[in-house]
Amino acid sequence: MSNTRKKLSIGLTSILATSLFLSACGDNKAANNSSASGENKGEAVELSWYTIGTPQKDVDKVMAEVSKYTKEKIGVTVKMTMIDWGDYNQKMQVLTASGSDMDIMFTASWAFDYVQNARKGAFAPIDELLETNGQGIKQVLDPAFLEGSKVDGKNYGVPANKELPAQEVWRFNKKVLEENNLSLDGVRSLESLEPLLKTVKANNPDVMPLQVDKNYGPYVPYDYLIEKFPLAVKLDDTSYKVVNIFETPEMKQALATMNKYYKAGYVPTEAATLESSTDVIATGQWFADKATTQPFADNVWSMSAGYPIVSTPQSDALIYNVSVMGSMQAISANSKHKEKAMDFLNLLNTDPVLRNMVDSGIEGVHYKKLDDKYMENLPESKNYDMPTFSFGNVMLTYLVEGDPENKWEEFKKYNDSGKPAVLLGFNFDPSKVSTEIAAVQNAKEAFWSPLMTGTVDPEKYVPQAIEKMKAAGLDKIMAEAQSQIDAWKAANNK
Amino acid sequence: MASLAKSRDFHRLSPVLNVTFNLIAGLFSLACVFPFLFIVILSFTDEKTLARNGYSLFPEKWSLEAYKYIFKAGDQLLRSYGVTVFVTVVGTVLSLIFISLFAYAISRKSFKYRTFFSFFAFFTMLFNGGLVPTYIVTTKLLGLQNSIWALIMPLAVNAFYIMIMRTFFSTMIPDAIIESGRIDGAGEFGIFLRLVIPLALPGLATIALFSTLGYWNDWFNALLYIEDPSIVPLQSMLMRIENSMQFILQNSSNPSIGVGVLQSMPQDTSRMAMVVLATGPIVLAYPFFQRYFIQGLTVGAVKE
Amino acid sequence: MKALRRHLKDVNRNRALLLMVLPATVWFICFSYLPMLGTIISFKEYRFSGNFLSSIINSKWVGFDNFKFLFRTDDAYIITRNTILYNAVFIFIGLVLAVAMAIVLSEIANKRLAKWYQTGMFLPYFLSWVIVGYFVYSFLSFDRGMVNRIATAFGADPVQWYSEPAYWPLILVLVFTWKSLGYNSVIYLAAIMGIDKSLYEAAMIDGANKWQQIRNITIPMLTPLMTILTLLAIGRIFYADFGLFYQVTRDSGTLYSVTNVIDTYVYRGLKTTGEIGMSTAAGLYQSLVGFVLVITSNYIVRKFNKDNALF
Repeated sequence: MSNTRKKLSIGLTSILATSLFLSACGDNKAANNSSASGENKGEAVELSWYTIGTPQKDVDKVMAEVSKYTKEKIGVTVKMTMIDWGDYNQKMQVLTASGSDMDIMFTASWAFDYVQNARKGAFAPIDELLETNGQGIKQVLDPAFLEGSKVDGKNYGVPANKELPAQEVWRFNKKVLEENNLSLDGVRSLESLEPLLKTVKANNPDVMPLQVDKNYGPYVPYDYLIEKFPLAVKLDDTSYKVVNIFETPEMKQALATMNKYYKAGYVPTEAATLESSTDVIATGQWFADKATTQPFADNVWSMSAGYPIVSTPQSDALIYNVSVMGSMQAISANSKHKEKAMDFLNLLNTDPVLRNMVDSGIEGVHYKKLDDKYMENLPESKNYDMPTFSFGNVMLTYLVEGDPENKWEEFKKYNDSGKPAVLLGFNFDPSKVSTEIAAVQNAKEAFWSPLMTGTVDPEKYVPQAIEKMKAAGLDKIMAEAQSQIDAWKAANNK
Repeated sequence: MASLAKSRDFHRLSPVLNVTFNLIAGLFSLACVFPFLFIVILSFTDEKTLARNGYSLFPEKWSLEAYKYIFKAGDQLLRSYGVTVFVTVVGTVLSLIFISLFAYAISRKSFKYRTFFSFFAFFTMLFNGGLVPTYIVTTKLLGLQNSIWALIMPLAVNAFYIMIMRTFFSTMIPDAIIESGRIDGAGEFGIFLRLVIPLALPGLATIALFSTLGYWNDWFNALLYIEDPSIVPLQSMLMRIENSMQFILQNSSNPSIGVGVLQSMPQDTSRMAMVVLATGPIVLAYPFFQRYFIQGLTVGAVKE
Repeated sequence: MKALRRHLKDVNRNRALLLMVLPATVWFICFSYLPMLGTIISFKEYRFSGNFLSSIINSKWVGFDNFKFLFRTDDAYIITRNTILYNAVFIFIGLVLAVAMAIVLSEIANKRLAKWYQTGMFLPYFLSWVIVGYFVYSFLSFDRGMVNRIATAFGADPVQWYSEPAYWPLILVLVFTWKSLGYNSVIYLAAIMGIDKSLYEAAMIDGANKWQQIRNITIPMLTPLMTILTLLAIGRIFYADFGLFYQVTRDSGTLYSVTNVIDTYVYRGLKTTGEIGMSTAAGLYQSLVGFVLVITSNYIVRKFNKDNALF
């Protein structure tokens, strides 16, 4: 009896072990499929497109339509995979590092960091591809887009044609503004806000005069080397000297002002740890805050908040690196169909039919055209709600109700009016100083938000911060940055 | 002396001590439960009231918005529950088998290779290769991409549980039992199945519990390996919603994203609703495991 | 030849047990040991080029450069000190309080009540650190937090909790205890249940009171488990729970001197550059230190009682 038992038990364990192996061999179908596509010559090439956004129900349906169209025009079919916002960075990193089959992927300065990954070799350089298969893109895009997104002299992604310059504005809750009979004349600098903040603080105890959070930084006329990192070059500096932002008179003054405002109660007490102000905006219990604008921004903000918001500029409209890298589509370095991918991107950025199909879905099912400029979303559109800005040339998309007729003309005017910032086109290569950067990051994070939001006294903390950062190796980074800028300057005759 | 019918007598605490113990355990328990109640209340609060007044046990305004937002996913939610239950049950059973077999073997002093295998398991607790290598092994070598087994296999074995189980086996199973099995002519497997397992039930129940919780709460594996929406487990679905909300919030100052995306996202209340939806079922399932370590099974006590 | 034959004989004799370890061993090879080969990235400046294998081969070898950032500046001392101290306290709590709570629960006369208490204690385990962070915030927020409201009601000054480092070691320890005590005590509870009741009977007959029973039966019977769990915890002494130190503290800069641990340091430091080699190096460093400590502790434990050791 025990013998049978033993045999049974051994059998059981072997079955288990085998099942482990079987499951390993079993699902190779999925792995095999992805490599099988695109091998057929003469057949349309299937492009694998990874993009950001909450996965929508009708993606496959729409892509089938898109594929029909693109197959006819350029001989490609498209398979789109959407990866949710919060997962995008992680997932893309893993997919790229493991060498997965991808052709086109979305990238930006804030999602799957464009510069970082371009340097790491994730994307294919597209300068030649643009010449051979992407002429349309070159014509459509303001040259600043391609200039600004060069990494070490090469382009690695197709920027989306959208608003180009970044301009900082002060936004105001119109109701509170009018209640207190305040005018926006003469309001531009941080200091000029003071009388308004004082009035609001006195008259509206429930309203936060200046709503800031941990992401806030006062505007100073400098171009940062790396976002939220203390090295920068002054905007009008023709010598391109790299400075420590905490040592500049403008920042020192701004921080002192912020501290003054904090002590006076104009700024939230826990701004330094507040992740975002969205909640407060939703309640309407604020007066002023800082934001980046685009044409017709006031309308957009007012609509989404549900009450009127007005704004006034606090800076010039300048074209920074980050403004051009807000939305890009890159071609994977591993892609087996780079030319076809470029063909597709070219079509996407020039053909309104394709562009709107990708954006809004199938005409008659998800949306309805009202005339040649306007469209209206149909109830089905909830199954295909896509982030418009992420697909390239937004100026090809149809307007919706509420958009002024001249929306895209205004955008073009805005873009043309932008002046390049001093470091446009220069992207710092941190590889020689990554150790120092890691150390300085920790040192600076300890001080950054508390200083920027005015929570701590800059007189005391700025010297401390500078000392700590120097101890962590800031000077070495600065020297490295300077030499890179000088080299770039020379190579580009600046 | 005291008959077995009154076997509880020798265990009875003095009344004072009993009350003290009750207080200690009770108060701590309350401290743990309280936030949960709070979360349930918060999940039914109106988002704007929350932003205005902060967290409150008695919200000014109630609302079902948070749940509505999540239930937009509709039948997807139901499927996710189904997937999670399947993964959890199958995973736990598989886990128990793998872990208890291994742990039993290394608990046996007669096993020549016990030190080697103990070390072999333990080493993996400290060193791991990182995300990408594991991803590659799972997808390229084992081909588990987009398969429901990608949710089960990576969590099937856990060296920590093995070590715990091994200790349970060593301490709860007297050698006499093993000897008696030997004398009866049973082989290793026979002894294991018939004699050891019944005695080790509290330990097995503990590992089963931890395993179940591990599977239930896992969302990361789905993030990495699953693209097919029909096999996305519950936590993963909820986490996706949450991570995306978080991401968009953190980038809310980014003009590129466009304000439209932020519209009508009930953040905090949705987070709370998600916790309720995700935790509710498992809390209800918990008592099933619990009876193994509160009452205990004292079947087959050793009678020398 | 003779050695080989002897070896094969051993294998044959142990074949049943070997078969038992087989499934999990295969699993370990696939999911743990194979991926471990990836730690070689710690010594390279990782760049993509084709698939993973070719990327590794083509990436530049940089020796120990990737480890440097962990040792620069006095931040290195702070994060190491913080990580070790917090973990030491956590280990202690995990041991003493978990065992105590398990004993308390097992001794309560009314078993139904005990069940309820225990279920309640388990709940915090289900909450993610993000949620816990919100709760702590609702207590410690300056304007609306419960603690400050109670304080002002009693006439005291409200405290800017998220800017005062002094209180945080205590706060973090309390939060950690709250979250993990229920979970940790289950293991010991199960172990107590497995203790042979006749031992207690015999002790009663000998006239032992409750405390003596606990001291002479329960605790010694739990010692193997306590030893193992402590050894395992020592192995992870350089790893900190990221969520606790990042979410609960709301990443507040002013608190870094007491809340920055190795894991948060690595996360913050690598946000801009994203050097995979450096993050892998940090992990390797944490593993190695833990490893050395465990081997040493295990060796010491073996001297006392061979059976209680890990291996």
